Amino acid sequence: MSSTYILVAGDARIDALVELAQGTSTTAVVVGTRSVAEAVAASGVDAVTWLGEPGDAPVEAYSSTVATLVAAAQPDVVLASSRPADRVLAGAAAAVLGAPAFTQVSAVTVVADGVELTRSVFGGIAQETDRVSGPAVVVVDGGAVTTGGSAAIAEVTASAIPTLTVTENRPAERAVVDLGRAQRIVSAGRGVKAKDDLGLVESLAAAIGAETACSRPLAEGLGWYTHDRYVGVTGQQVSPELYLAVGISGQLQHTVGARGARTVVAINSDKDAPFFAEADYCVVGDLYQVVPALTAALS
Amino acid sequence: MKIAVAYKWAPNPQDAAVGADGTVDWGRAKASVSEYDPVAAELGRRLADATGAELVGISVGGPDVASPMARKSALSRGFDRAVVVADPALEGAGPTLTATVLAEVVKHVGDVDLVLTGDSSQDVGAQLVPAILAGALGWPALANVTAISGGAGDLVVERLQDSGSQVLHASGPVVLAAATDAVVPRVPGMKDILAAGKRPVEVLSLADVTPAAPVAATAVVATARPALAARKQHVIDGSDPVAAAAELVAALRADNVL
Repeated sequence: MSSTYILVAGDARIDALVELAQGTSTTAVVVGTRSVAEAVAASGVDAVTWLGEPGDAPVEAYSSTVATLVAAAQPDVVLASSRPADRVLAGAAAAVLGAPAFTQVSAVTVVADGVELTRSVFGGIAQETDRVSGPAVVVVDGGAVTTGGSAAIAEVTASAIPTLTVTENRPAERAVVDLGRAQRIVSAGRGVKAKDDLGLVESLAAAIGAETACSRPLAEGLGWYTHDRYVGVTGQQVSPELYLAVGISGQLQHTVGARGARTVVAINSDKDAPFFAEADYCVVGDLYQVVPALTAALS
Repeated sequence: MKIAVAYKWAPNPQDAAVGADGTVDWGRAKASVSEYDPVAAELGRRLADATGAELVGISVGGPDVASPMARKSALSRGFDRAVVVADPALEGAGPTLTATVLAEVVKHVGDVDLVLTGDSSQDVGAQLVPAILAGALGWPALANVTAISGGAGDLVVERLQDSGSQVLHASGPVVLAAATDAVVPRVPGMKDILAAGKRPVEVLSLADVTPAAPVAATAVVATARPALAARKQHVIDGSDPVAAAAELVAALRADNVL
C-alpha cells in the first residue's frame, strides 16, 4: 500500500489533508504539545509520531528532525498545511527527499513509480496535471479539526536546531478572524475610494451578519484591513454561502480565493468588470448608491 | 557579516494569456524583480547598513536572469553585488529545484550568516522556496518576519503569527522570509540605477552549482482552463439603486441564501 506522511506544526486543523490522503497508509508527524498530538490522533490518521514537548524552541527548529524521519520512511507523498510553520517542515522534507513541491493541489494519486496530481497554477489562471517520478510534497490549506479516529501516539526523542529560541510572545491586539469558516462575507475593493467609506461596507455586513473582507490592495498597499481579511491567492481561500464583492474588479488573483462560494454577488460600476463572469448576480451600478440601498432593504 | 537576499526574475501572471486548453502564454508578460522581493532587499539593506555587513543578491533562473535589464533592476534595489545562475535548464524551475540550487549559491558565496527572501514569487507563489532552501542548508527558517536587528550569530527576529507576534533569538545561520509589509521598499532613483550598472555580477551556470541530490522530474500530462463553477451571471441594472436592491434581495431569498 502506498504511504503518506502528514507533517503537523503545532496546529491540528488537518481534515483536508486526511481527506487528500485517503486510500493510503497515513502517518502524522507532530511537532507541538501533547494536546495537539492527541487531536491529530483523533483526526483519522493511521499512526502518530510525536516529537515531544517543544519547550522554548519554535516548531521550525524541529525541521531537521522531521526531515530525517521522512527520509527514513521514504513515503510516496508528504502532505502539510500551508500555514507558515507547516511550510517550513514541508520544505525540509522536500529538500531531503529531492522531491518536487506543489501547492493549490486538488487531487493526488499514487501511480506506478510516482505520483500524479492536479493543481491550479500561476495564481489560478490555469490547471495542470503533473506526473512526478518519485515522491511529491504537497502543501494545501489544512482545513479544520476533525474527530472520529484513534491512532496510537508514538513519542520519539527529538532534538531542535539549538540556534533558535523563542524569547517573547506578544498576544495579538485583536482577535484574528477565520474567514475560512464564515457563512457570509462582504468584501471590499478599490472601488471604495476612501478609508472612511468602508462604513458603507461594514453596515451592509452588519445587516446580514457577514464578516468583512477585502481584495489585496486594501490589505497590503493601503493597510485599511489586516492581512487575515484579505481574500486571494496569497491570502484567504473562502467558501461561504454568500460572497458579496463591493467594488472589486475581479482579477484572477482575487477571485481564485472566493471560488468556493455558493453564491457570488458583484457590485461594480464597470459593466465589463471581470468579476461579473464569475458572479451569480451582477449589479452594474455605483456602489455608493447601491450599497446603502441594499443595506436599507435588508435592515 | 554577510547577508544574501534571494530574489526571482519572474513574469507576472496578470499579464499572461491562457489558451482554451489551459496553456499559459507568457509572450506579453514582461519579467521583473518579483513583487515582494524588494521588501527583503530593503530589510537586508537596512540591516547591512546598521552592521557593516555585505549584502549579496542571489538568483537562479533561465538565461534572462543575467540580462542587463535584470542585473540593473536587481542591483538598484541596494545589493553590493550579485551572484546569479543563468541556465536554460532552470527556466520555469519549480520550488525544489530553485531552492536547492539557491542553497548551492549560498555555499558558493560562502560565510553567509543570513538569507532573506520575499513572501512569495509573483508567478508560482508557492511560498516554499525559503523553507526548502533552509532544509537544503540544514538551517532553520521562519516566515512572516516583520523586523530583524542585531548581528551575525546574535540576531533578534520578530515574526507574525495568528496568535500575535513572537520574538526569537538566532545564534546561528537562518533563512527568513519577510512579511509582505515588513518595510516599505525604496523606489530606485536614477542614481541607484546608474550605480547598479557599476556593481559586480557573477554569472554561474548550473554545472558550477549542481545540487548533490537530484530533484525528481515533473512532467506535465495535461493542462486545462481553471474549473469555474457555473454562475448565473444575472445582470441587475443599478441605475435605480432602490429597485436594484429590492431585486437582489428577492433573488437571494428565492435562492435561500438570505
